[in-house]
Amino acid sequence: MLELRKDIFADERDDNLKEIGKGTQRQDMLGHITGTSSYFNDHKLQGMLHLKVVRSTQAHAKLRRIDTTDAERSAGVRRIIRGTDVPVNLNTLLSLINFGKDDEPSLAVDKVRYKGEPILAIVADSEREAFEAIAKVRIDYEPLPTVFDVEDALKPGAPVVNETYPKNAFIYHDVYDHQRLRFGDADAALANADHVLEQRYQMSPIEHAPTETNGAIAAPDTNGRYVVYTSTQALFFSVDTCAKILDVPSNTFHFIGGTVGGGFGGKVDTLTEPLAILGAMLTGRPVRYVFGREEEMQYGPPRGAERIYIKDGVMRDGRIVARKIRAYFDSGAYTRLSSYAAVKCAAHLPGPYTIPNVYGDVYCVFTNRTPATAMRGFGVTAMDFAIECQMDKLANLVGMDPMEFRILNAYRDGDMKAHRREAKNTALIECVQVAAEKAKWPIRDEFRRASSRKDGGGSRAAIPPTPTDVRARPAAPAQQRTTYDRAPVTATREPPREPPPPTPPPPPPRPAAPSHGATRFSSVFGTRRR
Amino acid sequence: MAVTVKTFASASEAAGAISSDRSARYLGGGTLVMRALNEGDVSISTIVRASDQALSRIDASGPRITLGAGVTFARILGERDLAFLHAPARSIGGPAVRNMGTVGGNLFAPNPYGDFTVALLALDATVALQGGFGARDIAIEEFLQSRERQSGALVLSVSCTRPANAEAFRYRKVARIKPKGGSVITLAAHLPVSGGRIAGARIALGSMAATQIRAKAAERALEGRTLDTANINAAASTAIEGTSPADNALGSAWYRREIVGVHLRRLLSGQE
Repeated sequence: MLELRKDIFADERDDNLKEIGKGTQRQDMLGHITGTSSYFNDHKLQGMLHLKVVRSTQAHAKLRRIDTTDAERSAGVRRIIRGTDVPVNLNTLLSLINFGKDDEPSLAVDKVRYKGEPILAIVADSEREAFEAIAKVRIDYEPLPTVFDVEDALKPGAPVVNETYPKNAFIYHDVYDHQRLRFGDADAALANADHVLEQRYQMSPIEHAPTETNGAIAAPDTNGRYVVYTSTQALFFSVDTCAKILDVPSNTFHFIGGTVGGGFGGKVDTLTEPLAILGAMLTGRPVRYVFGREEEMQYGPPRGAERIYIKDGVMRDGRIVARKIRAYFDSGAYTRLSSYAAVKCAAHLPGPYTIPNVYGDVYCVFTNRTPATAMRGFGVTAMDFAIECQMDKLANLVGMDPMEFRILNAYRDGDMKAHRREAKNTALIECVQVAAEKAKWPIRDEFRRASSRKDGGGSRAAIPPTPTDVRARPAAPAQQRTTYDRAPVTATREPPREPPPPTPPPPPPRPAAPSHGATRFSSVFGTRRR
Repeated sequence: MAVTVKTFASASEAAGAISSDRSARYLGGGTLVMRALNEGDVSISTIVRASDQALSRIDASGPRITLGAGVTFARILGERDLAFLHAPARSIGGPAVRNMGTVGGNLFAPNPYGDFTVALLALDATVALQGGFGARDIAIEEFLQSRERQSGALVLSVSCTRPANAEAFRYRKVARIKPKGGSVITLAAHLPVSGGRIAGARIALGSMAATQIRAKAAERALEGRTLDTANINAAASTAIEGTSPADNALGSAWYRREIVGVHLRRLLSGQE
């Protein structure tokens, strides 16, 4: 049973709420357990056609020739869709919020960048006939050098995975090839630390493995509209993505979703809807495009792999005085959401601890692997795993109990976080205390008495002098504009800021040009309208 | 071309249908064939079924047991007389797969599946086959070695001798996801004891080669000896001989070679 410690969280929750601590029926549970919930794939529409894609057998190759002569003649084939048939055949998911450059085609045109990348879509009377036509497609590949390792990808001379980002790293604010966090002088502190521990952590991609695979059914509706049954977990996001790719107003679509047979972040990429709708547009018939299980496992986007280096300086008394982190997010061949994961990760450093000197470089890297995407806490989960492994190793190094070591270094209310926000409602100390108590893990009295609400702030709230990295001030970026960018082109934008200055940045001034609402600085968007 | 389903009343008619059509596959429980069809395997265009009751017969009353090829793992788990096969049957898939998956289909299941066959190989089973030109019995080891060429024949049943006691037959499946993950390695050992010494040792391994194989060097290390620590260690150290494991998502060939001896030692010494 959930227990809310009112002694710690007195102001956190309204006592008049009537849900916490009680069993509550999920609104969709009755349908699920009686097998009556309706999923997108429960719709069998009259005259429905089936779409399957031809996927690249190569991890990186030029497409010399795509021969569909035999496939077109194959029984039951209604239409073969090529990249040139896609109205806007280049997109990036977060372009809807002006973040990142369009880098991913719906169907590959002149080259493929990962094994399994869609090249053609075949619409046929049955799945079987679509599969038979796929077997008759002849593709002439010219293999290109591949790169599968994040650090290799950043080396000079590495094969260019994605020409939109020629250095194989996502570019933030049109200038920076990584997210950078500087707080105090980590190098000086490491030099003076009693112990220094440097470790490397390597995560693997993780597939969401939903029970229901990704899919959509699109059907022509009246007034030139299309009704779309979909498994998406981000319905309005998918509507706008389809509107952009198919170059029509978003009110062309009536999306029906809501029941998702497992998402966990793996159903935001809107991989099936645009092609299903395009198939319906080109044939005038309902079109169903559903991933098979192997497609879902092999080519559905996973949680990205991360490589993390942590170098910590710790004193004999157990205080961590410096933490230096280098992290590489393997985005696969395209951006999807890993660019944002790196931002989240940088903001999370150095974990829930107050460390006076923190240094972080976080890269979002392109490789010839399946594009990665969102998955429960992405950007933070793997880093936390690495940090907590590191905490255990540090505790062992200085001969401290790991629970007490965490309490000693835990952030407290009022402390300054490395990204220059005051820590509030921290409660890590109390969590460790409760965990120790529940696990019957003995901790000493002084640690049992510690509180996240005592002894924080003060000198711990100060922002330490931070040496600025030496680099040339870059030219002002030209922002990529999308159809969703409603502000006038002339709107002035703040020049990009150098890596965090030693004092908290003042709020940037409002742009002079007319815009919708106020402006603020965000690490994701740079300066933007609110 | 649509997929045709042909259902026959007798196993021999079904066997005739498979032997005369290279694109035909026999459908037992469907856990392999339907998966292939759903994933777009266009090499299958005819599905052959048989409603012959003989295929789902279990004869477990005597010292030699016979399992019809269509017997499911769920049915084996429901037979008290087949207790020695419960561990391998239970190690396969989840309840849905065990309800549908059959003994005959398991003989054709590629890595990392086919765990029940590992048990049958250790038990020196005999496979009864119905080809286009008649029925014949074949030793399971020979069957597995020529499995690719057997697709034109229909397996009718599998039979083996019941182990003398629970100690004589041991089974272990190493999986990353318990209880229903694919096999990293599957091991089975039949160690009949005669006059205090092992006579007719059989050790079978799954996922250590393209098909299930016997660890013959390990068998020799135990033959005519007692199951003591020295002999167990000797057998474990030779477990790798003759194996040719492959990399897959569950484990690398290197890893399989490293751990096969460890798991064989644990199996033989009765460690959990």
